[in-house]
Amino acid sequence: MTGSGVRPLGAERNNRMSTVLLSDAVDGRAADGQWAVETHGLIKRFGENVAVNDVELLVPRGCAFGYLGPNGAGKTTLIRVLLGLTHADAGTMFLLGHAVPRHRDVALARVGAIVDEPRFHGHLTGRQNLQILAAAREPAAEGRIAPALERVGILHRADDKVSKYSMGMRQRLGVAACLLGDPQLLILDEPMNGLDPAGMLDMRDMIKSLVSEGRTVVLSSHLLDEVERTCDAVAIVDRGTVIRQGPIAQLLAGSSFEVQVECSDPDRALGLLEGTSFGVHVQVRPDGLAISLPEHTERDAIAEINRVLVEGGIAVYRLQHIQASLEQWFLSVTSRLGASE
Amino acid sequence: MKTISDVDPPTPGTAPASIPTQVRSDHRGSWIPTWGMVSTRLMELRKRRGLMIALIAVNIGIPVVFLAVRLVSHAVDPKSYGAAGGYSIFTSLVTGFMYIFGFIVAAVVGCTAGSVDLTEGMFRHLVITGRSRLALYLARIPAGLAIVIAMVAIGYTIVCAVCVFAAPTQLNYDGVVVPQGLSRPALDNWAVTHPDEVICNFNYNGPNPPPNVPCGNGNGPSGPTPVVKTPQGTIVPVHVTRAQIRAFAVTMANQNYSDYRATFLVPSTSLMIDVGLWIALEATIGFTVGLGLASLMGQRTVPVILLIVLELILTPLFSRHIIPHLVNLERGIVGVAMVHIEPGGLPTPFGGGGPGGGGGGPGGLRLIPESTLAASLVIAAWIVFWTAVGAWRMRTRDA
Repeated sequence: MTGSGVRPLGAERNNRMSTVLLSDAVDGRAADGQWAVETHGLIKRFGENVAVNDVELLVPRGCAFGYLGPNGAGKTTLIRVLLGLTHADAGTMFLLGHAVPRHRDVALARVGAIVDEPRFHGHLTGRQNLQILAAAREPAAEGRIAPALERVGILHRADDKVSKYSMGMRQRLGVAACLLGDPQLLILDEPMNGLDPAGMLDMRDMIKSLVSEGRTVVLSSHLLDEVERTCDAVAIVDRGTVIRQGPIAQLLAGSSFEVQVECSDPDRALGLLEGTSFGVHVQVRPDGLAISLPEHTERDAIAEINRVLVEGGIAVYRLQHIQASLEQWFLSVTSRLGASE
Repeated sequence: MKTISDVDPPTPGTAPASIPTQVRSDHRGSWIPTWGMVSTRLMELRKRRGLMIALIAVNIGIPVVFLAVRLVSHAVDPKSYGAAGGYSIFTSLVTGFMYIFGFIVAAVVGCTAGSVDLTEGMFRHLVITGRSRLALYLARIPAGLAIVIAMVAIGYTIVCAVCVFAAPTQLNYDGVVVPQGLSRPALDNWAVTHPDEVICNFNYNGPNPPPNVPCGNGNGPSGPTPVVKTPQGTIVPVHVTRAQIRAFAVTMANQNYSDYRATFLVPSTSLMIDVGLWIALEATIGFTVGLGLASLMGQRTVPVILLIVLELILTPLFSRHIIPHLVNLERGIVGVAMVHIEPGGLPTPFGGGGPGGGGGGPGGLRLIPESTLAASLVIAAWIVFWTAVGAWRMRTRDA
């Protein structure tokens, strides 16, 4: 990358990243590489404030990827940097295998994005707004206007002025605008904003259908529940830094979890379990015990708990493994970071 | 920390192949806008109802209403109301209204074209397409000019048509019906045969008039009485011979010949072409400066106000008041330069005197001296500078 002040891809950086990808970096890299989005050491400052801080992000192709973080964490800024809406102060980045901003024209040709609240010319109809955007793309984009409008469910309102659209309809129009370029990569910044429950369901289904077509969808959001339902993988960003990333199932698998036990004598069961070396935290509840197991505890520990209780003469009626939700995991990760400071 | 490279990435789906050849060859990175970009930008501007109403009202509506009122008045009462068209109406309408307000509405269109993508949130969508930002900027110029110049052309064509086809049938010079196109000797001869009209109506620009030259149209309390019009305009009763009257009429006709020669029944074709190009250039300047300034500032209101101040206050002020230490700065004002390339035969804009071809005619205030070459360079510099400034800001602005 040769952008102003952006440091070139260095061999010393990111040894944990794929060496195959780094070895053919910059111009020679294959456009159909493994990663839809790839950033290394990306930094964006606003004065003293570092909005994007040394971000290492790898988004696999063909999945729904959640980019999570609290408000002000730098999610939108990263997206703006990726799309060339603002420049990076340092680092390298690739979209669909093309270095940006050097090859932004080729890279963005197959990228669709909504950044912040989608806004359009209010005095024009939805169709006319899309005509303006299609004209800036390849000639074939003009022919995708009607299908895109139909796909997002506003074809019947396509000839109404955008000033008469609801927030949800503008959000849909924004998605339609993304589809004009037949994108391989969609970057949606808070796409659920302004949508009613039915609209959110539609949006979720649409994202899934886009992924099923082989497209990559990057979803920036603070709505953890929506991300958990929609995405295959996530990255957690806090204060400009990516602190965790990976497939949701694998991230949660490594997190702490709870085992709920319904048994005959909870108080005695508590004493039995506190005498073990599992490192568990046990609470007595009216319906039994709630046992919290630390991160990276193997599932065999559940069987071991059962064995200890049965051998201690406790009748076990129910033993349930409660996996932490993404929201619980997110809060535990971010609160731990906050406590460490 | 668990990173995505520590775990298996999701199995890719049937991702579309790499960037199609069509996209690679659509010159998306080129600074040259496509026809589609220009035409959709034109549509975006054309659909702005308020802007179009203002543009039509100034360039077409007000001149048409003005001429229509004159046509009707003349048709109803031709003795009280003069012809709707003609040379004097043409020059007054062009320099007194279309030139000045044509610039202002063109500037408003330019400011709108330069700022609405930002203020209405479309700039971000356009940048995300990967299209060159310079091409996005340049697409606005032909689109905006297509609207502005078309409006100017329509309004101006109507004005020309009315001024030609509804022109007076006789040349009225200083209130006297005079044959058109007379040579100096012919005008002298005509003055000999019409001494009273000449003496009583033509302007006298010399020293004190010779005494005893009467004006036969003087109306005293006891009927027509010979009088003479002094430079101060007072009518003085005198007693002179007819020969003296004729001689003085010839003198006055000679003094007024150059002024008479520049007075026509209808504007000539060459004058109409020159003036049309001149006001089109003024509108072009208004649009491009407005576009660049609004792109620089990222808004519409302040640039519009600044350009109105430039056109209505600064230009008239600096075109006539020479400030010795700032004279070159004054010459650098585009409005001052435009007055210097004004087609001959027009009165100076901003309330100047008679025809002077930009230099201020008899009775007009003197303009700051500036060569045509220097004026042309100033105009070109304004267009290029503001286009470059707007394009630079468009390329560097955070979207």
